[in-house]
Amino acid sequence: METIHFEQLEETLHYEKLPNGLEVYILPKKGFSKTFVTFTTKYGSIDRSFVPLGEEEAVTVPDGIAHFLEHKMFEKEDGDVFQKFSQYGASANAFTSFTRTTYLFSATDHIKESTNTLLDFVQQPYFTEQTVNKEKGIIGQEIQMYDDQPDWRVYFGSIESLYHEHPVKIDIAGTVESIDGITAEHLYTCYHTFYHPSNMLLFAIGNVEPEEMMQTIRENQNAKTFAAPQPINRIHVDEASEVAVKERNLEMDVLKPKAYVSFKAREVSLQGRDMMKHELAIQLALDLLYGRSSDFYEEVYQQGWIDESYSYDFSLEEGFGFAMVGSDTAYPNELLAAMKQVMNNAAQQLPFTQQDLERVKRRKIGFNLRALNSIEFIANQFTRYKFNDMNLFDIVPVIEELTVADVKEALTSITGESQQAVFTINPLTKEAQA
Amino acid sequence: MFNRTEVATGVNIFTRKSEQFKTVNFSIKLKRPLNTEEAANRTVLTNVLQHSNATFQSAAAMRMKLDDLYGTVLYLDTAKQGNEQIILLNVETVNDHYLKTGDVLNEVLALMHTVLFEPNLDEQGLFQQTIVDREKDMVVERIQSVFDDKSRYAQKRLQEILRPNHPVSTSVNGTVEAVQEITPASLKAAYEAMLTEDEIDIFVIGDIDERQMIEALKKAFPFEGRTPIAVPEIPESHATTTYTKETFDTRQGKLHIGYSTPVQFTSPDFPKMQIFNGIFGGYPHAKLFMNVREKESLAYYCSSSYSAQYGLMYVMSGIEQENEEKARRLIDEQLEAIRQGDISDLEIMQTKAMLKNQLKEALDSARGQIELYNQYRELPEEFTVENMSAKWDAVSKEDVVAMATQVTKETVYFLSGEDAK
Repeated sequence: METIHFEQLEETLHYEKLPNGLEVYILPKKGFSKTFVTFTTKYGSIDRSFVPLGEEEAVTVPDGIAHFLEHKMFEKEDGDVFQKFSQYGASANAFTSFTRTTYLFSATDHIKESTNTLLDFVQQPYFTEQTVNKEKGIIGQEIQMYDDQPDWRVYFGSIESLYHEHPVKIDIAGTVESIDGITAEHLYTCYHTFYHPSNMLLFAIGNVEPEEMMQTIRENQNAKTFAAPQPINRIHVDEASEVAVKERNLEMDVLKPKAYVSFKAREVSLQGRDMMKHELAIQLALDLLYGRSSDFYEEVYQQGWIDESYSYDFSLEEGFGFAMVGSDTAYPNELLAAMKQVMNNAAQQLPFTQQDLERVKRRKIGFNLRALNSIEFIANQFTRYKFNDMNLFDIVPVIEELTVADVKEALTSITGESQQAVFTINPLTKEAQA
Repeated sequence: MFNRTEVATGVNIFTRKSEQFKTVNFSIKLKRPLNTEEAANRTVLTNVLQHSNATFQSAAAMRMKLDDLYGTVLYLDTAKQGNEQIILLNVETVNDHYLKTGDVLNEVLALMHTVLFEPNLDEQGLFQQTIVDREKDMVVERIQSVFDDKSRYAQKRLQEILRPNHPVSTSVNGTVEAVQEITPASLKAAYEAMLTEDEIDIFVIGDIDERQMIEALKKAFPFEGRTPIAVPEIPESHATTTYTKETFDTRQGKLHIGYSTPVQFTSPDFPKMQIFNGIFGGYPHAKLFMNVREKESLAYYCSSSYSAQYGLMYVMSGIEQENEEKARRLIDEQLEAIRQGDISDLEIMQTKAMLKNQLKEALDSARGQIELYNQYRELPEEFTVENMSAKWDAVSKEDVVAMATQVTKETVYFLSGEDAK
């Protein structure tokens, strides 16, 4: 077991790569009574076309399958895995994103038992046609629940507008129609391709004794046999830098319109420290352009064009990336024009100085120090960074070295006018209500 | 857990030194009895104080100051507790210990003083009309936005039907009408009443020197003694009808059911009711999850929650419109099963383990420590995990059956989309 010490943060990370390829990270945190363990595969909704393990030909599986698989891992021949975690007083959960599927538990007692339960349930698939079909009703309701949420629709609707081909445009849970086509055989194909230990990472944090935890995991893994690790052949698509649809509207049963502009990123190939630097530079640029201390924000707040729902953010993964900014608003046209104007002006000349940048850097450093109180934040973010060859604990030093020139350079990834899409949600018109 | 220091009549400081957190957390709670007009004024007041004061007149200036203080988080909010309304000033700041330079903590205290005691007033000593108007709009929009989230809206409707003219259905934001009535003068009156009449609790937790901190807080917040207004008893109220169905243009139906129980937070039966709720629908091992979701595939979520402050229980689930009858029947059957004693030792054991774990986990955050301590100090005995665990451990199957028989279904609210399609 190796250890990595982060002096300024007073944290020590323990690491080991097991013979089957599983990477294990353990971070003890003083003063916490809870232990939080995540077990993550680098497999998400965008992995829809790939060459199945041991085969030659690429396949495309039904949309929503990674999320469906996540649901089905919890059901075993002898019942529901939640029952076992509950006996140990552990809260278990799982989530599927564009690029990852994470299984997790948190508990204050019986950590060894829950860790073994976590490893075992994720590593012992059990799918039958009957259990797969039963799940379709449950996930169908989950999809409909999200369909009724305007904030969700505006977020995914925007992404859908940005992309022509890239599977990030497909809803993570799929549709009621697409999941209907999922079979137990599909699930086994995806499982065997993406759930090999060499494609996974385990992170344990909180009230944990590193050597004891590592020993538990070693013993659990040594008792199982796995095929030799093989590289995964994911089929990538070509994606133009222009957006697919410049403008879209949707009517829903809401009182007030929602107006969002999204910006498609051109630079989506970076990994490692370069990616971290690039990502942080764009985030800081957005803080300066759209943040609550920006001229833009003060202006639109005074005008009453935004309310407390206003938000902006930037997401980046290998192969796709986008910024989004918007709000509920009674003035969608004025707000959309103002939001675009900020980016278009920034493309010509950055409206901030190194001094302004230093201010938002301080804020971001403070945010990160606060976030390091949250063991959930650390576990989730550490894994996301690691899958992109970055290290969560490098954030503060990387922020410290950023200059206005770095920010300017990074921002060019999202400033092109052809990279902008607009999405609005409007209240139902009279005809639709009738 | 916290050390209490009374600094004036009705003004208390609660301190806790802990090396667990890399930040220092403050929570100032200003309390008075709940009513709609004052709630509206106080919510708009928190918005006004949040965005403008005599030193930092614009939201941007305030924000820049917070950025400079390493992104210190400072926000005002309003909350409800029983028959009281609370104005909260919550602040989280980095501990100087982790920074190379600076005296951030004292600057943060000075800023908190400015926010509460140095408002941005006009020549007549009133809040600025333009700011008041803007923040009234913001609060109106906040109230109206509940409509856009259909599960929140359904729960709001259920509470209005279940307990009309009662704290359960009184919003801490007031109503749209009450907000629209607000003037700079009414806001000023609410502000002065807050400073001079409210009961005040100041919480602070972090790696602090408690004595120094108490002195610094006394200086930053020179509140005078006051005799807080007595909180009236919660009025009697009952459901106006047993069934309501409303139709909207949505895909999923939202089924919300309201139950009453005679057991409130301070009742000796409180831990028993918590166990009952856990077995009924509080967790993924509960009867509602196992039957309505896992066995019948009717829903993605179906759970119960127990509101001990008011002795109420809610069940909520998202379902297909046409499954309404079936879902209601299944939910009734789960309650009936518990009344008949259909409870396994495993279910009891799991629920106790989950409750204990949840409590211990909540204490891992500074905010959790403040809130739990604040809530449990109403109880006569000292609040510790051991005391609560012992109470849960003492609960038997018979106790759970007894709780189930005391629960009364009062009303069903169904938000349906079918007629709109």
